[in-house]
Amino acid sequence: MNALARLHAAMEGTPADRIPVFCNLLDQGARLLGIGPREYYASGEHVAEAQLRMREKYGYDNLWGLFYVGREAEFFGCREMVYAEDGPPNVGHMVIRTVEDVPRLEPPADVLSHPAFEQPRKCFDILRREAGGRFPICAYVTATMTLPVLLMGMERWLPLLLTGPRTLRDELLAKCHDFFVSQVRACRAAGADVIVYSNPFGSTDLVPMSFFREQSLPWIERDIEAAGRAGLVYYGGAARVNPVIETVLERTRVEAFYLSPLDDVAEGRARIAGRALCCAALNDIPMIDWAPAQVEQEVKRLVEAGKPGGRFLFGTLLMPLAIPEVNIRALVAAACRYGALDA
Amino acid sequence: MIQHLATGFAEAIVDTDGDKALQLVRQALAAGVSPEQVVFEVVVPCMDHLCGLAASDGGLSVAQHFLAAQISSDVVDAMLPRFRRAPQVAGRVVIGTAVGDFHALGKRIVSGCLSAHMIEVTDLGMNVPAERFVEQALARDAQVIAVSSMMVHTARGEHGCRGVRRILRERRLEQQLKVVVGGAPYRFDERLFEVVEADAWARSAIEAVPVVVRLVGEAGGP
Ligand code: B12
Repeated sequence: MNALARLHAAMEGTPADRIPVFCNLLDQGARLLGIGPREYYASGEHVAEAQLRMREKYGYDNLWGLFYVGREAEFFGCREMVYAEDGPPNVGHMVIRTVEDVPRLEPPADVLSHPAFEQPRKCFDILRREAGGRFPICAYVTATMTLPVLLMGMERWLPLLLTGPRTLRDELLAKCHDFFVSQVRACRAAGADVIVYSNPFGSTDLVPMSFFREQSLPWIERDIEAAGRAGLVYYGGAARVNPVIETVLERTRVEAFYLSPLDDVAEGRARIAGRALCCAALNDIPMIDWAPAQVEQEVKRLVEAGKPGGRFLFGTLLMPLAIPEVNIRALVAAACRYGALDA
Repeated sequence: MIQHLATGFAEAIVDTDGDKALQLVRQALAAGVSPEQVVFEVVVPCMDHLCGLAASDGGLSVAQHFLAAQISSDVVDAMLPRFRRAPQVAGRVVIGTAVGDFHALGKRIVSGCLSAHMIEVTDLGMNVPAERFVEQALARDAQVIAVSSMMVHTARGEHGCRGVRRILRERRLEQQLKVVVGGAPYRFDERLFEVVEADAWARSAIEAVPVVVRLVGEAGGP
């Protein structure tokens, strides 16, 4: 059974050899190719090559078309990324400095043909050519309500969202929504099987439940309705999603949830109650200092909490560069072993 | 009256209703409540109350922390000039984000919460080198250096908290200057503060207040 078929089996709750195992390695690709992050991320060929080689090296199931999250700002005219040798790139130029910039903001008419999509598209093309139909190809798309963070920073967006002028706030959200929909379409057209719908503002770690219901939820409904549910995974950006699972399920019928390591897996699974795929994430930040045996223990704990009842996937967050290779190997080995199913 | 006000103020913050919180304060002042009472009998106890909520199971959301910090520090700032006697500061802190880190919100929320507790905060901004943290702490006669990081590599980097520790050790300043850290990575790894050689950490901005108060004491007080 190939990895894509394994993922489909997990989504549909049909028999498989084991649970899908996702390992999210991004910046590690530059190290593998022996080049700096700026050079690495300038080329879709680099990213695709490293994605394919890393998957082969460790033996997990998925491939990424994502370079780094801040890339989305480049579609809006962001001119500077801050690269680091030891961590992920960050947005270095905020396109929106004050709320007065909102009316001037121009979302691209079409993502697929936009210059900022040229390299990701190349990457997707290579992944599709080399591994399409065998390994799930993942895309990462920032939700409407979270996207403004990449354009103006959290310290400006949160006040605007909570207390700012409504009309400008809604104008910004409407523009972000148009971009969101266009980006999902572009990623699917380029070959993405999985769309990770990333929305920390869809978590009650970021906003209180009342705000979630009144403000976040309507945009989530609109996003998912417009994008379509196929292969879409609800992800809080590592913020907890357990408290909102039932509501999101009822209102959007989304087919997969990616929990935070801070969510209890058994609770998440119980809330989902077999109605969608439950993806558990290993807490990969302390994993930097763990011994391989500890990695194995933690994988075992999560898999045992999530596997019973089926429709379960084991994964990581965006793994920090400092995680030693032996721990990545220990993780994949343990996840495959404890995740075995009697098909 | 005060009790009623304190409860209403805390409720408004939990509901992220900033307008209501400010309106309650204005009404109280008009009814003869003193600025000192507003600070010490409403704002400070409210922060203590929220600290309990923040530490509870679900915790408080980032939005609630943000509004609590902003409103409370605004109210305290507005009250201080109207105090009959200059109030005593409860401690002095310099705060900034670690080298390579451009995430300002956490630091801003922490500053607001500390100010609302009468702790004097100097904000050194973002991407602050270790040397500057120490220099400024000495120049301001601070007891505590607070380092905020949003990412693992900026938390663990040699030029962040670890760099601050190295300088303090070399210059034998560890008795008089304590180091507190916080930000997203510390919430995912509760032992990370030890790895980076900080004296303490706090999960959230509101919970940072008692931690900083304790460190101020350990450093010999204001
Ligand atoms: C919202 C979010 C996003 C949003 C917005 C990010 C932003 N602010 O710019 C989006 C979706 C855009 C995003 C993107 C990315 N993110 Co992000 N994100 C989050 C999330 C869910 C919350 C972070 C946040 O903004 N919180 C709000 C602030 C105010 O909270 P805070 O920093 O924790 O601060 C509070 C406390 O910690 C404390 N505190 C803060 N500072 C201090 C200091 C002291 C002294 C004390 C005592 C206390 C204290 O008080 C504050 C209030 O209570 C976290 C996961 C999580 N659950 O925390 C990941 C997280 C921070 N992101 C992470 C990463 C990696 C990224 C990316 C780099 C991914 C990538 N490869 O591109 C990008 C970077 C984007 C960019 N800037 O260019 C990682 C960082 C860890 C790591 N691996 O290095 C996290 C932890 C997720 C994870 N576990 O993998 N992210």
